[in-house]
Amino acid sequence: MKKRVISFLASVPILAALSLSGNSCAASCPYGMVNDPYPGQCGHYIDTTGDGICDLSQITSSTVDSTSNDQIDTNNEVADGNQDLNNGNTTIDSGNDPDGGFLGDGDNYFIIPLSLLLISGYLFTYYLFKKGILKRSKHKRIWNLLLTAGYLGSSGTGMLMILFINLGIRTALNPSLIFWHVELSILMVISTLIHIHIHRKSFKNMFRVLFSFKATGTKK
Amino acid sequence: MSYEVLTLSLPFIGGYLLTYSLYKFKIIKKVLHINIWNFIIGLTFLIGGGAGFLLLIFLELGMITPINHVLMYWHVEVGISLTLITIFHIHCYWRSTKKMFIPAKRRVKS
Repeated sequence: MKKRVISFLASVPILAALSLSGNSCAASCPYGMVNDPYPGQCGHYIDTTGDGICDLSQITSSTVDSTSNDQIDTNNEVADGNQDLNNGNTTIDSGNDPDGGFLGDGDNYFIIPLSLLLISGYLFTYYLFKKGILKRSKHKRIWNLLLTAGYLGSSGTGMLMILFINLGIRTALNPSLIFWHVELSILMVISTLIHIHIHRKSFKNMFRVLFSFKATGTKK
Repeated sequence: MSYEVLTLSLPFIGGYLLTYSLYKFKIIKKVLHINIWNFIIGLTFLIGGGAGFLLLIFLELGMITPINHVLMYWHVEVGISLTLITIFHIHCYWRSTKKMFIPAKRRVKS
C-alpha cells in the first residue's frame, strides 16, 4: 500500500510537467497536426507566411518570425488581408482573436455555464409539469424544439465547415463557425440526454425489441 | 486532406431504404425498423459526441496528444452520418415532428 502511495506521489511531478508542456504547446496546433497543408483539416487554419501550410502546425514558424525583420514586414502586409498570388490563398488573420466579440469568443467555450443553464431549465419545466402547471405535451414540445434547434445548428455549422474545408474556402467567419458549432453541440448533447429521459420507456423498449425480439415473438 | 461525405453517406441511405422497403412489404414490423434506426442514431451520437467532447476537453486543457487529429477526423465523419440519420429519425417520427411545429388549433383549422 505504502509503495503504491509513494509511486503515485512520485508520478505527480511527471504529470505536472506533462501538463505544463501541454500548455506551452497550446499556442501551436490544438489538434497536434504537423505541417497541415491548405485548406487545413479544421477551421483554425491561418497562414500569415503565405507558404500554404498552416502556421499553427509549423513548429519553426515563431522562430522564423522573430529573427527576420523583413519577414515581419511581409507578415504584417499579409495580416492586413492581402492575397498571396503564389498559391492563390487569401490569408486573413482572424483565427485567434483574443477579444472574440459578437461572433465568438476565441477558444473560450461556455461548457459548464451552458450545461448548468439547460439542466436547471429542464428541472424547472419538469417541476412545473409535475405540479400540473405545465402540460406534458408542452413540456415535451419545448425540449423537442430545443433539441431540433441544437441539431440543426450543430449539423448546419458542421456541414458548412466541411464544405469550406473541402472546397478550400477561407472566410473571416470560420473561427466564429467553430465557436457556434461547439455551443450548439453542447445544446444538442444536453437536449439529447433530456430527450432520452423523456422517452425513457421507448428507450428501454428499444433494447427489448432489438435484442430479444424473438422471445417476444414466441409469446404471441 | 478532405473529408469523405458521399462514401460514408451511401451505405446509410442504402440501409435505410432497405429496412424501409422491408417494412413497407410487411417483411418486418414498423417497430423493428424504427428501433434499428433509433439504435444506430444512439450509437453514432455516442461515438461522434464522445469524440467531440474529448476534443473539447483536450482543447480546453491545452493537451496535444497523438490521437487528436484521428479523433477530429472520426468526429467529422461520424458527424456526417449523424446528420443523415437525424433526417431518417425525423422521417420515422414525421407526425410527431409536424405536431411539434404546428399547434393543434391550426391543425384542426386546416
